[in-house]
Amino acid sequence: MGKGRHGWSLGLAGLLSPVTIWLGLFFLVPLLFILAYSFGKSGVYGGITLGFYPGNYLKVFNPLYLDIIVRTLVIALTNTLLCLLLGYPLAYFIAFKGGRRKHILILLIMIPFWTSLLLRAYAWVVILGGNGIANRTLQFLHITDHPLDLIFTPQAVTMGMVYSYLPFMILPLYAALEKFDRRLKEAAQDLGASRWHTFWRVTFPLSMPGVIAGSILVFIPSAGEFVIPNLLGGARTVMVGNLIQQQFLEARDWAFGSALAVMLAVLLVGAIMFYVRKVGAEKLEGV
Amino acid sequence: MEERHIKERPEVGDAGRDVERSVAVELSGVTKRFGEFVAVDDLTLDIYEGEFFSLLGPSGCGKTTTLRMIAGFEEPTEGGISVDGDPVRGVPPYRRPVNTVFQSYAIFPHLNVFDNVAFGLRRAGVKGEELQRRVTDACEMVQLSGFEKRKPSMLSGGQQQRVALARALVNRPKVLLLDEPLGALDLKLRKEMQLYLKNLQHEVGITFIYVTHDQEEALTMSDRIAVINEGKVQQVADPPTLYELPKNRFVADFIGQTNVFSGTVESVREGHVTLRTSSGEKVEVTARGVEVEVGQEAHAAVRPEKIRFGSEGDNVSSTTIRQIVYLGVSTQYITELSGGERLVLYQQNSREEDNPEVGEEVPVAWDARNCLILGG
Repeated sequence: MGKGRHGWSLGLAGLLSPVTIWLGLFFLVPLLFILAYSFGKSGVYGGITLGFYPGNYLKVFNPLYLDIIVRTLVIALTNTLLCLLLGYPLAYFIAFKGGRRKHILILLIMIPFWTSLLLRAYAWVVILGGNGIANRTLQFLHITDHPLDLIFTPQAVTMGMVYSYLPFMILPLYAALEKFDRRLKEAAQDLGASRWHTFWRVTFPLSMPGVIAGSILVFIPSAGEFVIPNLLGGARTVMVGNLIQQQFLEARDWAFGSALAVMLAVLLVGAIMFYVRKVGAEKLEGV
Repeated sequence: MEERHIKERPEVGDAGRDVERSVAVELSGVTKRFGEFVAVDDLTLDIYEGEFFSLLGPSGCGKTTTLRMIAGFEEPTEGGISVDGDPVRGVPPYRRPVNTVFQSYAIFPHLNVFDNVAFGLRRAGVKGEELQRRVTDACEMVQLSGFEKRKPSMLSGGQQQRVALARALVNRPKVLLLDEPLGALDLKLRKEMQLYLKNLQHEVGITFIYVTHDQEEALTMSDRIAVINEGKVQQVADPPTLYELPKNRFVADFIGQTNVFSGTVESVREGHVTLRTSSGEKVEVTARGVEVEVGQEAHAAVRPEKIRFGSEGDNVSSTTIRQIVYLGVSTQYITELSGGERLVLYQQNSREEDNPEVGEEVPVAWDARNCLILGG
């Protein structure tokens, strides 16, 4: 008996050790490096002196950088909300009205993943650029007589981000709605709830796991995004991701770059915990 | 005793003995087709106020579809439904004065017991103290006091079932629709709930329409039962009539167990019919209701518990015991007549005597008045 239990735990260790080693070496160790660097001191020609220099963190509160952090959170939040607003009806439609075509429709949602994100972001440059498809079409239709500033705006960044992150919202929403027991809808209607009430009192609260999962999947990477703002935002729409990239690759201030990265991680973990607490608590309370 | 009972209440279901009773649900010529498939075929029924009415039939017979049409989840292809005197065609489920207890319970998993029960009242605009009081009363009625704050996942099947019941009844519907609500419970709990439901219906006085495929359940609880097969009503009657005077072979087979003899009518005189089966067995029957003529093909039915061992009676046959099944209260004997037909009989286990054994040849007897000519 004791042997059996022992064998089971050995088996479990065997199964879990590859992932533990992998994550330990390539996730935890680099993270500790970043943490150590963030308290270090950058040399004039790059390089880093380890120690305890909290100045890197104080620098983050410089209004210039604070501004970028706030903008990043606003863009990530806007992106998350837009993805939710656009993705929910689509996921709802596929889950409830998709019928036999459900799987094909979900496959279509995933098709953009077959091309690299970089290529897709460049496609937006081609579309929104000064002499791009959008501007030429508008001029051809005589809606405008000179090229509009479509690219290198916060709107362009948002557009590109919604486009890129929408599938990450739709898939968990679809998974949650797919599982939904539609007899509950009938029960709600039987008890006098109109379609509107049925949605807000039953369907939506029960799809909350999908909403939470989708929001997290969209919010976290979009807060750390640097490719899309780089290509579509230009110099005017810098996000924290770009700033970190600059510190590491251009300014060679690894210490400050690390401090920024740690701050971002702390902010995101805090935001997610707050969100799950808030939404989760409401979900538990019911009406 | 059963004989007298039947004579006092002839054809109860069809005649509508109480003219003054108002009709709670009226189905007239209701047909429902799903593409080619006819789920419900020209169904006409009057269900009276305060009645415990069951729709009984095998799965796929159209009973649940009928219930869903009353609730408003399906619209009839043809015919009309009235609830409480008002036609309900085109009225969405949330505006009909009916509530449903679903087979799956369909309890809202994100709401606790109180909020589940309060759901319908809140939609109807009931608030504050009245809401509190009515929900508390409803929980008390189904013996769930103190469970108000519990989540459905923390309740047993029987408790969830009672939440579903309270959630529907708290709205004081004109009609309560129950779709095989006891199907998922174990036998003992089901038996308890049957009696409980029957008493509850008596207490609240609301019309119950109960869908079930379990004939015993229907017999236990109902004032009247409509037996449905392949979308058609076979017979509407109270439980004793249904059991003692089934109208056709389907009802006789479906309600309880029965022995059926098929043969040719040899003679008809003064309500007495003699049937001759293909194997030469002669069966004496007291004819009731069904008209037959000499030379006609007909079926005669006799319930297993009306047959006894012995050689005194209107019908006496010699049988060989093939199988003996001990059932507790009674013992079931599966026997074979000399012509090869199977004959099942029940004997009460109340007396101590020499019971026959497998392979033994014994005479059995039953009376003509316990035997029935079946139509169809």
